[in-house]
Amino acid sequence: MARPLNELRERLLRAGGAPRHVRRYLTELADHLADLRAEEERAGRSRADAESAALIRLGGMDDLAEAMIQQRQFQSWSVRAPWAMFGLVPLFLLAGADLVALFILWSGWKMFLPGADTPFLRNDGFANLYFQADRAFYYGAPIFIGWGIGLIAARQRLKTVWPTAGLVLIALMGGTAHVHASRTAVPSGIGHISLDFTLGPTDPLLPYGLLHALVILTLMVLPYLIWRLQKALSLSA
Amino acid sequence: MAARETNPNFMNGVPELLILRLLRQKEMYGYEIVEAIRSRTDAVIAVGEGVVYPVLHGLERDGALKSRRKTVNSRSRIYYSVTPAGSHRLADLSEAWTNLAAAIQRMLTGGDHGEAIK
Repeated sequence: MARPLNELRERLLRAGGAPRHVRRYLTELADHLADLRAEEERAGRSRADAESAALIRLGGMDDLAEAMIQQRQFQSWSVRAPWAMFGLVPLFLLAGADLVALFILWSGWKMFLPGADTPFLRNDGFANLYFQADRAFYYGAPIFIGWGIGLIAARQRLKTVWPTAGLVLIALMGGTAHVHASRTAVPSGIGHISLDFTLGPTDPLLPYGLLHALVILTLMVLPYLIWRLQKALSLSA
Repeated sequence: MAARETNPNFMNGVPELLILRLLRQKEMYGYEIVEAIRSRTDAVIAVGEGVVYPVLHGLERDGALKSRRKTVNSRSRIYYSVTPAGSHRLADLSEAWTNLAAAIQRMLTGGDHGEAIK
């Protein structure tokens, strides 16, 4: 792709253009540029002159960028409603993931420990695998959601405020969530599982919930930091 | 109080009008559309050729156009054509522009008001 089009892509993404619309726009511009270049070459210009003339005919970068930016419908939702994309959506995703994890826990309790007062017992074999998979899903969900936020932010060249707010929110939710299970909590005795959000007992430094949130936050931003470091190293090399 | 209809920007709607008019005849891709506009307006309407694409995408999003990818001479291109909604939009835009052009023409040539002043 011609260098001016690469610059245009960066400019459109930074202005909030949705990546798929930007990609399509640039694909069509590149095709158009190739047609213009061919036309100029047929008119007898050299390759370099034809390229320059084609770029002039295609339009200035300001005009090409403005034409797209003015159409708000082509902006990404991360720019149009960042509070929803980095606040509500991750929140609902985590709530959904927690619900699934609790259901798996409850079903495992019912299948493998029908008489036990709690599902948090030592298990062997398939039952152990079942509960460990659920545990991995429960603890991994906030980290995966955080990676998703980071990916969207990097792909759309977003400023850090909203993605950071989303990461902190998810880390706090994931870190302070505690699962409770009791057979005798409800009179029917079918087993009751609940989730609440508390900071928990204080470690020597911080409440356990905050410490857990910090660990989650670190794991969330780690890939992004590695990526930035690699980018910086490749630029300096 | 009812809002009064205004014409804040005389060029508003012109690209849409021209594109819809051209595509009503046959499906075209971006480069063809720009070429056709230039040749049919004797290059009076000349803009950066690339700015036609956001207009095309906007019209497609509004349902006035539809697009399909087609390979011609081993080159894959996106061809656009008018939908029934696009035909209605073209009729509305054509009427609005005909009225506006007639009004401006009356102003430029004196018209009823000019004659009344004499």
